[in-house]
Amino acid sequence: MVVFSNSILRNRLAGGCLLLLMAGQSWTAVAGAETGFTALDKPAQITAQSVHKTILSVARAGQRLVAVGEEGIILLSDDNGQHWNQIVSPVSAALTEVQFVDPRHGWIVGHYGVVLATTDGGESWQKQLDGIQAAQLLLADVQLRGGDERELREARRLIDDGPDKPFLNLHFTDALNGFVFGAYNLIYRTQDGGQSWQPWLSRVDNPMGLHLYGMAEADGVLMMAGEQGTLLRSTDAGEHFEAIDSPYDGSFFGIIAEPDGAFVVYGLRGHLFRSVDNGDSWTQLDIREEVALSAASMLADGRLLVVSQSGTLLVNRNDTGFVPVADLPALPLADVVQSADGAAIVASLAGVHRFDLPGRIARDSASGSVKE
Amino acid sequence: MNSANNIDTGAAKPPPEAFDPHSGSFIERLVFNQRRLVLAFCLLISLGLGWQATQLGLNASFEKMIPTGHPFITNFLANRSSLAGLGNSLRVAVGVKQGSIYDQQYLQTLQQINDELYLLPGVDRPYLKSLWTPSTRWIAVTEEGMDGGTVIPGDFDGSAASLEQVRLNVQRSGEIGQLVSANFRSSIVYVPLLDRDPRTDEPLDYGQLSRQLEQIRTKYQSDNIEIHITGFAKIVGDLIEGMQQVLVFFVLAVAIATAVLFAYTRCLRSSLLVMGCSLIGVLWQLGMLQLFGFDLNPYSILVPFLVFAIGISHGAQKMNGVMRDIGSGMAPYVATRNTFRRLFRTGIAALITDAFGFAVLLVIDIGVIRELAIAASLGVAVLIISNLVLLPVLLSYIGVTPKAAARSVQHDSVGAGDDGSDREIHQVLPGRLWKFFALFTERKWALTALTVAAGLAVFGSVVGSRLQIGDLEPGAPELRADSRYNLDTAFMADNYAASSDIFVVMVKTAVDSCTHYSVLSKVRELTGQLERLPGVESTNSMARLSRYAMVGYNEGNFKWLELIPNNAALGAVQARAPRELFNADCSLLSVYVYLKDHKAATLNSVVEVAQKFAADNSDDEARFMLAAGNSGIEAATNIVVKKAMNQMMYLVYGAVIILCWITFRSWRGVVAAVLPLMLTSVMCQALMVKLGIGVKVAILPVIALGVGIGVDYALYVLSVLLMGLRFGMTVTQAYQLALRQTGRIVMLTGATLAVGVATWVFSPIRFQADMGILLAFMFLFNMLGALILLPALAHFLFGSTVLAPPISSSAPVQEHNNNDSDGLKSQFLTEENSHA
Repeated sequence: MVVFSNSILRNRLAGGCLLLLMAGQSWTAVAGAETGFTALDKPAQITAQSVHKTILSVARAGQRLVAVGEEGIILLSDDNGQHWNQIVSPVSAALTEVQFVDPRHGWIVGHYGVVLATTDGGESWQKQLDGIQAAQLLLADVQLRGGDERELREARRLIDDGPDKPFLNLHFTDALNGFVFGAYNLIYRTQDGGQSWQPWLSRVDNPMGLHLYGMAEADGVLMMAGEQGTLLRSTDAGEHFEAIDSPYDGSFFGIIAEPDGAFVVYGLRGHLFRSVDNGDSWTQLDIREEVALSAASMLADGRLLVVSQSGTLLVNRNDTGFVPVADLPALPLADVVQSADGAAIVASLAGVHRFDLPGRIARDSASGSVKE
Repeated sequence: MNSANNIDTGAAKPPPEAFDPHSGSFIERLVFNQRRLVLAFCLLISLGLGWQATQLGLNASFEKMIPTGHPFITNFLANRSSLAGLGNSLRVAVGVKQGSIYDQQYLQTLQQINDELYLLPGVDRPYLKSLWTPSTRWIAVTEEGMDGGTVIPGDFDGSAASLEQVRLNVQRSGEIGQLVSANFRSSIVYVPLLDRDPRTDEPLDYGQLSRQLEQIRTKYQSDNIEIHITGFAKIVGDLIEGMQQVLVFFVLAVAIATAVLFAYTRCLRSSLLVMGCSLIGVLWQLGMLQLFGFDLNPYSILVPFLVFAIGISHGAQKMNGVMRDIGSGMAPYVATRNTFRRLFRTGIAALITDAFGFAVLLVIDIGVIRELAIAASLGVAVLIISNLVLLPVLLSYIGVTPKAAARSVQHDSVGAGDDGSDREIHQVLPGRLWKFFALFTERKWALTALTVAAGLAVFGSVVGSRLQIGDLEPGAPELRADSRYNLDTAFMADNYAASSDIFVVMVKTAVDSCTHYSVLSKVRELTGQLERLPGVESTNSMARLSRYAMVGYNEGNFKWLELIPNNAALGAVQARAPRELFNADCSLLSVYVYLKDHKAATLNSVVEVAQKFAADNSDDEARFMLAAGNSGIEAATNIVVKKAMNQMMYLVYGAVIILCWITFRSWRGVVAAVLPLMLTSVMCQALMVKLGIGVKVAILPVIALGVGIGVDYALYVLSVLLMGLRFGMTVTQAYQLALRQTGRIVMLTGATLAVGVATWVFSPIRFQADMGILLAFMFLFNMLGALILLPALAHFLFGSTVLAPPISSSAPVQEHNNNDSDGLKSQFLTEENSHA
């Protein structure tokens, strides 16, 4: 928090605007005090049961696995998901997504507008942003840009609302550059690894303020997917996002870029679309499932693994489309990632679990890039 | 105490015509000089109270079984009307043995059961819920928003297609684990009940409801359909049914006790007389309960057993005395008066001791226990009339079989060790038995007995230290683990999400504030803490619902699973929230904690966390209060019971020690009487550990009765023993005398009491069975203690002492002091004379 406020001050000073300096000071005072929100003020409780609680996201940090979930739970595993250790988290808010850009640098986003960062591979985490600060930042940004009355009103309303809007996902391209985004078009960008955050709401063509659920990058194109078929594309390295035509009215819960440069978006009622032309056209792939798809992950062998909310894991085979990975218990799945030894590590409402993928896939992954 | 109690021992064998009807105490003259009046009076009372007794109802009132004075219960009762989810409801699971519920025949049966349940009296019909009710809906998120309908569609026709539709609807209804089991082989009809039958406005008759449910069960249960019913109303119904069975055991107990009595006396008419008088005592007791406005509850229904058994043992004493006197040549009338003279005060003293045992139960703040104490006190009080007055009067008319009377005297000489080659076997046995017991006054045997006792005490203390508080077995603690109800409970626990052990924390807020973020975030924190306890399976609360509601409002995306700090959004959840989570004006939240079991350790862990949280977090905005739910009540009961058990021990032992002191006027006597009792208490605790019985409400009467009635034996034996010592006998002689005079009475009392309570073991009500086992054990063990340990202790305590004459008498004992306040002494004197 201290790092954050200093960095904001630095930004404001660099802006050379006395008014903003005062604004910055005023909210620095707020940020220094307790927020009054238990989820932000109290660290997560470390207990043995955490591994069975709601886990919403899991990611790889090199060989290590990092999983996050409700009540600020952060779990680490150094044995490919056989055992997990809970790590001290500065907040007890639900954490929605985790991403690492290399084995050391990673970020977590969550409810109450929380952004946490690590530079030691997930051993320790610092809060870089929360919803209260984010709202202040937005107001300061609107005032700095000389935004219109409507923008000011919106920004003030955000402050009044308090930290009730979650960040739902994040996208970092390297240890310095990344976006955090979520409910009601809430989006912030950093170019210094989270030392400072710029409100990015005005750069996104999302007048309805729909939720943003995912971002992916292929060949220099950034693509965001969200509520009610929202698809937003940036061809200028994230400076601006424009709405593009969507093949679907229902909500997308995520987007992923395949190694060959194709984008895959997925969401409600088993809908999954693929685009090989940066979103100009989309092809629906039939996955023979009617349930919402909550996450997707690339396997080491270049295939796509998709998980549904009702617990199905599906793998695409180039010609035959998606096939379920057989005989898994029905868990309400939220996320998936492949471990270094080729197993599927799933995050679910009933904890984090490890499944050995069936023979062929496991063999494929064994010959994949992970082992090299 | 009563100088009028002149004992004219010279008149032991007077010719009847020489008997002076104006001799004897005032009470004796009152009773025996107006025998017809006494009989008429008793007849009138019997008619009146007998009629009252027929009106006496069976009841298993919930509130009377809980400690209403405990703050948990006070909180619960104060908010009871707001606790919708804890209201009375039944869950009827209709299961299919082959196939699944997606079967036309199954669904039809379910519909019929649903309709029959709907029509039962007292059902809160609008809230009845099953697959067939319109309130059971499915919801799905579509591109257009929410879509939904009833789970069984309006156009259901039983075809394969519509069954498939039902299957799909169930999947998206969110009722799996609630209304439909996860294996799709059963579904539930949820039947909320009203407190009163709306047609009659009478309180709901649980006994009748339970019988109607059983009719439905019998009607629809088949090779392929099984029905499981759980809910408080069913427990009460089963308890009432169990109580009716207990009445059958009473008949059994009466039969066995009469048989024991007859085997002892060989006199049918007087045996029947004693039994009849004891039954009259029971009848009066029941009539008086009704007269004073009580019902019979599952605890007080046991009192007649005790009253009957105590009545039998006192009656037997009377009969014994009369028999001996008749055997030694007196006319029935004179013999009865003579016996009355000797035994009336002893009897009253013993009954007062028993009454003390019951009376200490009044300190426990649990309705049923107080009622038990009152019922038992009444019972003991009426025994004074029925068995100490009515019985002698009747005996004076009817007398005893001459053969039996002659035998009783002969019997006596056998006990004294005379030769009797023509004795029957049952007569030999007591003789050998007496000789065996008499051995314990010898040093070697006494030492052995005391060593064994010390060993047992150490063993008992070690085992007994593992004694647990509360009920230890799964299911409804009132009923047996293998009872139909508990099997049904196990079925529910296996197939449905909700546990049957529910602890509820109440959260009081300002009106319309129960969904405020500040309140719910605290609730969330509390549930988070509780969910981390190993004994907690899960929780449910408005906070939990609100978290899941955010997922629902956001198209089911799991990432929204959090309590959003936004009062408007949280308030909106209320509209769709089930009523069990909050009250009508949104000022009280119910936080449900589902437990793995109801063991004391589990309950304690929850109470500890919740109490600390309540203390740290209660403020004007939200006041956290413990506790409701069956487990909350059980937790409170455990706390009360634990405290009461210690209280009980102090009180009952205090009372016993004082009574022994008053009776014996000798600290050695007190030690000799009380130490065996203590060993029994210790062994009883060890037995409880071994049998897996925890300290619960039902154990408290056991402690009181086991000790309070158990001391009777010591009183009988030690009184005579001390008397013998005061006459300069050796301990062995004195003990032999005691065995001869009261040993058989002790055996008979032990046997009838043990028989009386042992039949409870067959009761379908679990705590009655537990009480039966433990009380039977205590009565028998106390009896052995009085016959073995007491003489052994006496050997060491009195071995070298020559006792001074009783303090109250200054004149030489040999002159049969008339001021002697001890009735037993009179008995002793008369008996010695009759032997002379």
